[in-house]
Amino acid sequence: MASLRDLKRQIGSVKNIAKVTEALQTVSAVKFRKAEARVKKARAYADNVEQMMRDVSRSASGDSPLLAGREVRRIVVATLTADRGLAGGFNAQVLRRTAQFRAEKGQGAELGQVASGRKSVAFFRFRNIELDHVYTGYTDSPTYEQAREIGRALTGLFEDEKADEVYLIFNRFESALTQRPVLKRLIPVDEGEENGEDEERDDNLAYMEYVPDPETVLQQLVPRYVETMVWQALLEGAAGEHGARMTAMKNATDNANDLAKSLTLQMNKARQAQITGEIIEIAAGADALAAG
Amino acid sequence: MSEDRGQGGGGRTLFCRIITPERMVYDGEANLVMARIADGDVGVMVDHAPLVSTAEVGDVRIREGEELHVFATSDGFFKVAENLVQILVEEAVEAGEIDVEAAGNQVEEAERELSEISEDDEDRERVRAEIDRKRRMGENLMRVAGRYGQG
Repeated sequence: MASLRDLKRQIGSVKNIAKVTEALQTVSAVKFRKAEARVKKARAYADNVEQMMRDVSRSASGDSPLLAGREVRRIVVATLTADRGLAGGFNAQVLRRTAQFRAEKGQGAELGQVASGRKSVAFFRFRNIELDHVYTGYTDSPTYEQAREIGRALTGLFEDEKADEVYLIFNRFESALTQRPVLKRLIPVDEGEENGEDEERDDNLAYMEYVPDPETVLQQLVPRYVETMVWQALLEGAAGEHGARMTAMKNATDNANDLAKSLTLQMNKARQAQITGEIIEIAAGADALAAG
Repeated sequence: MSEDRGQGGGGRTLFCRIITPERMVYDGEANLVMARIADGDVGVMVDHAPLVSTAEVGDVRIREGEELHVFATSDGFFKVAENLVQILVEEAVEAGEIDVEAAGNQVEEAERELSEISEDDEDRERVRAEIDRKRRMGENLMRVAGRYGQG
């Protein structure tokens, strides 16, 4: 059994850990609430851009490769992770999804990779995977400027025929407890699932006038759509990151407190054993004297 | 979504929303919405025919009763359907809240950057377009602030 002094030292350091993780948890909670509010506020824009994308793509004639696609020789995947760790499985699950996707698609086409967030950059560099573009230093609190930069780069890869399909892998934010890795095709634009509501909309769309014409609107809309999807993913990533860290740090604090409790119990037992031992010795000594 | 606000019910009211990536900047009733779209200025009143177009750098003016709300807006998209005008732009600043000094700096900075673009940069056309956008928006902010800023 560990000595009393060792136990005391261990308890001290476990309690210190609990203090640190609790502080991180508090900080993450504040950041999480802010990030969550941003996601909610930004949703109106993203929803409307997506809706417009669906409407316009249905009205546009011709086979724009942005919609219809073209022969796939090179596929580019953009993976969004956080800059920092200590967030449970947050980064790992996106990277695992990316690795899985690359293994699936790698047979038929050349693969390109874009990385946002230090964790994904490190992951791909470690595996000697060449990166087309690298973005770091803002996943905490992204701005639209960054989404635009990434979006433009992705659209640019398609325009320059360096990519025939562009995918995005990111953490969809569901709650502080759950973030789900999601794969989304950006280009050619994935119009999303059909539903009854859309059929009804189609009737209304017949009267929709496009100025100057659907094709021109489409051409300008696609880059904006890509940016918007990246923007939404960055915001959801930020909220997810803080949420995941908050949860991870809460678990860490709870574990540290449990450990401190059990160590304290152990220490008390050890102390009692020591005292008992001492009393026995004294009693034995007194008995010996009395007998003598 | 309240996509179909104003539809049915016979309540003939026009609504207008200006939405940026960050947030909803304006959401309210309007008698008349004026904006610059692909083929020039457009004015939308109640029961306007459905329309989708691009929005150009300029201003959006919303008349609501006696009030006039003016926003300096960047480029984006413009949609009218079912008595709802939706303006999706990257930036929209209410005329009274424009920081003229910052806008001036933005223009100067853009002009300096434009003169510094390297001819060897294979991406220079894209870079130039990007910076030019920034310059035009800066000028637009100054123009709108000068014209509608003080009341």
